[in-house]
Amino acid sequence: MNIEHPQTAAKDHRLPFIKADGRWISLGLGAAFVVVLGMPLLVTVLWSLVDPQVGWFAPDILPTSRALNHWSGALRNPSIVSALGLSIGIGIAVTILTATLALPTAYALAKLPFRMKRFVEVFVLAPLIVPGIIVAVGIGAIFFRLDLVYTVSGVILVQTVGTLPLMIRILAATIEAIPNDLIAAARTLGAGPGAIARYILIPLAWPGFIAGGLLTFVSSFEEFEKTFIIGSPFVQTLPVILWTYLGGRGIIFPNAAVVTFILLVPMLIVFFLAGRVLRDDVLASGMGKL
Amino acid sequence: MSLLHRAAVPILLLPAGGYLALFFGLPLLLAFLGGFGLFTRGAQTGFTLEHYRALLTTQAYRDGLWFSTYLAIVPTLASLALSLPLAVALARTHPGQRLFNILYKVPLVVPGIVAAFVVMTMFDRGGLAARVLAPVGIDLPKLVRDQWAIGVIIATSWKAVPLMTLIIGGSLASINRDILSAARTLGAGPLATFWRIQVPLALPGITAAFLLTFIGGMGAYAVPNLLGPVYPLPLSVHMYVNAFERNNWGLVSAMGTVLSLISISVLLAYYRVTRGMRRVFGGEQR
Repeated sequence: MNIEHPQTAAKDHRLPFIKADGRWISLGLGAAFVVVLGMPLLVTVLWSLVDPQVGWFAPDILPTSRALNHWSGALRNPSIVSALGLSIGIGIAVTILTATLALPTAYALAKLPFRMKRFVEVFVLAPLIVPGIIVAVGIGAIFFRLDLVYTVSGVILVQTVGTLPLMIRILAATIEAIPNDLIAAARTLGAGPGAIARYILIPLAWPGFIAGGLLTFVSSFEEFEKTFIIGSPFVQTLPVILWTYLGGRGIIFPNAAVVTFILLVPMLIVFFLAGRVLRDDVLASGMGKL
Repeated sequence: MSLLHRAAVPILLLPAGGYLALFFGLPLLLAFLGGFGLFTRGAQTGFTLEHYRALLTTQAYRDGLWFSTYLAIVPTLASLALSLPLAVALARTHPGQRLFNILYKVPLVVPGIVAAFVVMTMFDRGGLAARVLAPVGIDLPKLVRDQWAIGVIIATSWKAVPLMTLIIGGSLASINRDILSAARTLGAGPLATFWRIQVPLALPGITAAFLLTFIGGMGAYAVPNLLGPVYPLPLSVHMYVNAFERNNWGLVSAMGTVLSLISISVLLAYYRVTRGMRRVFGGEQR
C-alpha cells in the first residue's frame, strides 16, 4: 500500500524503512548480535579451554596456551554429572506436574463462564507478579514444618508455583481456539470429562502443551533463586553449582565456563526445537496481557 | 448443560487453584502476618510493629529498600530504550530476518547466573574489555561490584531485552497496517508514525513488559549478589541472610511484605494505564 500524496512526496517524506534501509537494519543487527551474543560465547569458550598450568592473565587478550583439562575434569566430576541428571529430572517432573495441574483450570478459563473469572485470572497470574524470592522464603517457612526443605520434592513443588501461570495462560489461549461445537458434540455423544480431555483437548491443544511444556522445562532448568533457597546445600542443580563457582570462596572462571556450557547445551537444544513449534504469538499470549 | 458446567467449574479450578492457594497464597498470608509478629517461626511475640520499625529505622535496610527500587527501575528503563527500536527493526523486512528473529531470543533461555558470569569475564577489573581497551589508552571505570551497580544493570538488561522485545513485538504486530498506511498518506513521517501511532497502540504490551521486568529486577537475588556493590545490599539479599543465617523470620516477613506492596502498586498502576488505554481506543488491543 504505497499510496503517497504527491505533495508529501515532494517534501521528501520517505516511507519508513523502504527497501534500501533493509540492508542497514541487517548490518546494525548483525553487528549488535556479534557484540552481545558472539563475544560472550567466544570468551566463555576460551575460558573453558584455559590451561591450568599457564592460566589467562591480563594483558593477554587470548590465552597463550589451551588445554582440555577443565573439560575432562568436569566430566569426571561426579557432582557435576549428577547435577546435570538432577536438573533434567527436576525439569521433567516440574513440567509434568505443571501441565497436569494447569489443564483443568485452563479449560475452565477458556470455555466456561463463571462468576469471579477476572479474580481467578489475576490470582493464577499472581506468582508472576510477586518476586520469586518472597515466594521462596515464604514457602521455606512452611516447608520447615513439613520437612520439605532441602529435599528434591520441595524444590519441585516450589518451582511449580513459578511455572503454573505461564502454562495456564498458554493452554487457555490454545484451548480457546478449539470450536465449542466439538466439545458439545462429544458431550451429547456421552463423553465424560476424561474422554473430552483425552480425545479432544489434549490432541487439539498439543501446540499449547509443547509450547508451555518447553517453556516450563527451560524455566525449571535455569531456575536458581527458589531452588537455592529451598534446596541448597543438599539439592545441587547445575545453576546452584555454577553459583558456588562464582560466589562462595574465590571465583573459578574455567570451571564456571565449563558448567555454563553443560547448562547451556540442553537449553539451546530445547530452544531450537521450540523455534520450530513455538510461534511468537503463542509465547506472547502467555505474557503480553496480564 | 449450563448447570452441569457451573457445577464443574470449582472442580476444574481446584487442582491449580488449590495448589497456588497452598503454596503461594498461604506463604504470602503467613509472611504478611509474620511481619506483625504473628505465627512466625521461632519465638512468639504476639502482635508487634517492631519488625517494621527495624526495617524503616535501620540505615542498611532503608538503603536496601531504595537500592531494590533502583535495581527495578534503571534496568527496566534501559531495556525499554533498547527493546522499542529493536522490536520495530525486527518487524521490518530485511535480509536475514528469520535468523535475527531467532537469535534475539537466545538470552531468554540463558540463566541469569550465566549472564552474571559473562559480565564478570568481560567487565570486571582485568576483564576482556579492559584488556582490549588498555592499549588504546582507555581506562574503564569500575563496572562490577561498583557503587552504581552498572554490572547488575548490564546483566539484567541483557536478560530482559528479549522478553520485552517479544512482548512489544507482539503488540506492534497486532496493529492494523491500514492505520499505519493512513498515517503515512496523511503526511506523517516514520518518526511521527512511531511515536504517535505505534507506541500508543502498543502501550498495553509495553506496560506489561515494563511490569514484568520491574518486578524481576526488584526481587533479583543472584545477579546483584554476584555483581552488585558490597553496600548497599538489595532487600532480597537482606531477606535471605535474615531468614537462613540469622533466623529472624519476622523481619524477613516485613521485608517481603514491603516488596510485595511495591509490586502490587506497580500492578495497580498498570491496570489503570491499560484501562485508560481501552477507554481511549475502544475495545481490547491484542
